[in-house]
Amino acid sequence: MTALLEIQSLKKYFPVHSGVFQKVVAQVRAVDDVSFSIKKGEILGLVGESGCGKTTLGRMTLRLIEPTGGKVLFEGQDILQFDKKAMNLIRPRMQIIFQDPYSSLNPRFTVKQILGESMLVHGQATRQDLTEKVEALMTRVGLSPEYQNRYPHEFSGGQRQRVGIARALALNPHYIVCDEPVSALDVSIQAQIINLLMELQADLNLTLLFISHDLNVVKHLSNRTAVMYLGRVVELAPTLKLNEHAAHPYTRALLAARPNLDPRQRKRNAPLPGEVPSPMNPPSGCHFHPRCPEAMGHCRTETPKMVALDEDHFVHCHLYT
Amino acid sequence: MSHLLSIENLGTCFDTDDGVVQSVRQVSLTLDAGETLALVGESGCGKSVTALSVMRLIPMPPGRFTSGRILFSGRNLLELTEAEMQRVRGNQIGMIFQEPMTSLNPIFTVGDQIMEVVLRHENISQQQARARALEMLKRVAIPSPEARLDQYPHELSGGMKQRVMTAMAIACQPQLLIADEPTTALDVTVQAQILDLLDKLRQDTRMSILLITHNLGIVAQYADRVAVMYSGKIVEEGPVTSIFESPQHPYTQGLLNSLPKEDPRAKLETIPGMVPHPARLPRGCAFHPRCPEAHPPCRETVPGWFTPSPEDPEHRVACWLYDPSRTQPVSS
Repeated sequence: MTALLEIQSLKKYFPVHSGVFQKVVAQVRAVDDVSFSIKKGEILGLVGESGCGKTTLGRMTLRLIEPTGGKVLFEGQDILQFDKKAMNLIRPRMQIIFQDPYSSLNPRFTVKQILGESMLVHGQATRQDLTEKVEALMTRVGLSPEYQNRYPHEFSGGQRQRVGIARALALNPHYIVCDEPVSALDVSIQAQIINLLMELQADLNLTLLFISHDLNVVKHLSNRTAVMYLGRVVELAPTLKLNEHAAHPYTRALLAARPNLDPRQRKRNAPLPGEVPSPMNPPSGCHFHPRCPEAMGHCRTETPKMVALDEDHFVHCHLYT
Repeated sequence: MSHLLSIENLGTCFDTDDGVVQSVRQVSLTLDAGETLALVGESGCGKSVTALSVMRLIPMPPGRFTSGRILFSGRNLLELTEAEMQRVRGNQIGMIFQEPMTSLNPIFTVGDQIMEVVLRHENISQQQARARALEMLKRVAIPSPEARLDQYPHELSGGMKQRVMTAMAIACQPQLLIADEPTTALDVTVQAQILDLLDKLRQDTRMSILLITHNLGIVAQYADRVAVMYSGKIVEEGPVTSIFESPQHPYTQGLLNSLPKEDPRAKLETIPGMVPHPARLPRGCAFHPRCPEAHPPCRETVPGWFTPSPEDPEHRVACWLYDPSRTQPVSS
């Protein structure tokens, strides 16, 4: 299998302005030198806590946020070199599903307009066959086509997320960034949407970057999982391997922090002290060292390099160097 | 033994443009000293309205109580005057809200906000109140508590704000703490810290906790008993082990089954359909349109309480499946 998407040393630094003249006083390293690739038809899970840079990273792969440095190779081409016209030609092949189905759909558009707009713009439908195409799309995501003239506020959260998924599918994309697509949904609806995403992925051979803070959800549907902490990927491995043989102390803590569903096996003593530090002023060396139970002297000073534990398990941690 | 809190047949409704929304219907619950009761359910099921009813924080109008009593240490909270209720709120019953970001006042220091609670309810000096605020910040394990007293909420992280909220809620040593989704806005590693803290406070002071959450993992880890709500009604209640090991109501079973399991990439079980609109509840059992086991009486009559297992008398379920006289249709 070949890589559909490959990112190399991708960086995004946001400037911090202060004072009367809005001088740049600092940089927030939201994403700091991240590299990985996603194979065609693969689901790569990207997990981490709020502020770790996972959303910024996801959007940079679509060039919705312009990277500060690095490369984004989509189907072999570096899209960061593309001009606007070339970008518009490639956009239909890359799409995004947002977390919040309440704020990501235009409240003044009917479902038909929401789904039809991009198809008309990109010439994938004509005025004549638009209704037919919209109906097929709605059926595909489990919405009744008779709702096509309704507005987003007339739907429940789960149905709205189905509209968001249909919108992403409208142009037959190859690659979809799913940015916390089930986090705002109730448990029973979450299961429906996860099933739908998995079914669509298999039927259409989609490649997904699945961003979530919920390790159980990522474990359920992704082939490989990358863990981020303060702008850096700290571990990347096939999902089962990551769950069973997590190497990075942060990954182990995240796994241990999941509340267990068995009331007879109770855990106390939270696995990690403290909180994620501010990305404006991250700790030196390995960003995780102040919270790490296994921190050593040089963790404070040296940024750990990537270590391959085996052919497909990578970790950034001094324990393994 | 009498209960610390006993909610009896509570009904809370709201008059809206869409008609009367009966958010809480015939809810009965008890909570003993030192116990944690989890109230679980999906958004809109009435769990927060139940908690706000106990605190008498329902805006009226449009809200109104339609039935029931809320007995707290033997007094019916629904009959207290507002002045009497103010002496209960923050003093005997503390509450933590979901969003620590919006529940703290941004223009007062953390110390001032905790002191305000103490000065409001106790006859003590400024110095003593400040000392108490410091003690509370220490008890919720905030790093460098002396410095925090004079900081403003925006200077604190999310987890620290939730610790400050907790410090405020327990400053007067309440007998009951209502925690409404206390960790939903927090990261998983911080979530575990806050829940461990609440559990430790409960053990140290024999405070009771009414824990409202939609996270079943949290319920399994921290609750003694569980009440499951659906469309304003409690549908199942029992000890935490009974609920997780032998859930009886089809809704509880559906919720537990829809969680991702050990077997990755398998199709998840789902509950078909969605929660009914609260102003247009179906007749009979509100869950029947989504229930795989619905049969004729479910569509007609609201189920009463049944005890499925004689060995587990505290485990009760509001579902016609467990009606011993199920062969004949039951009328209310």
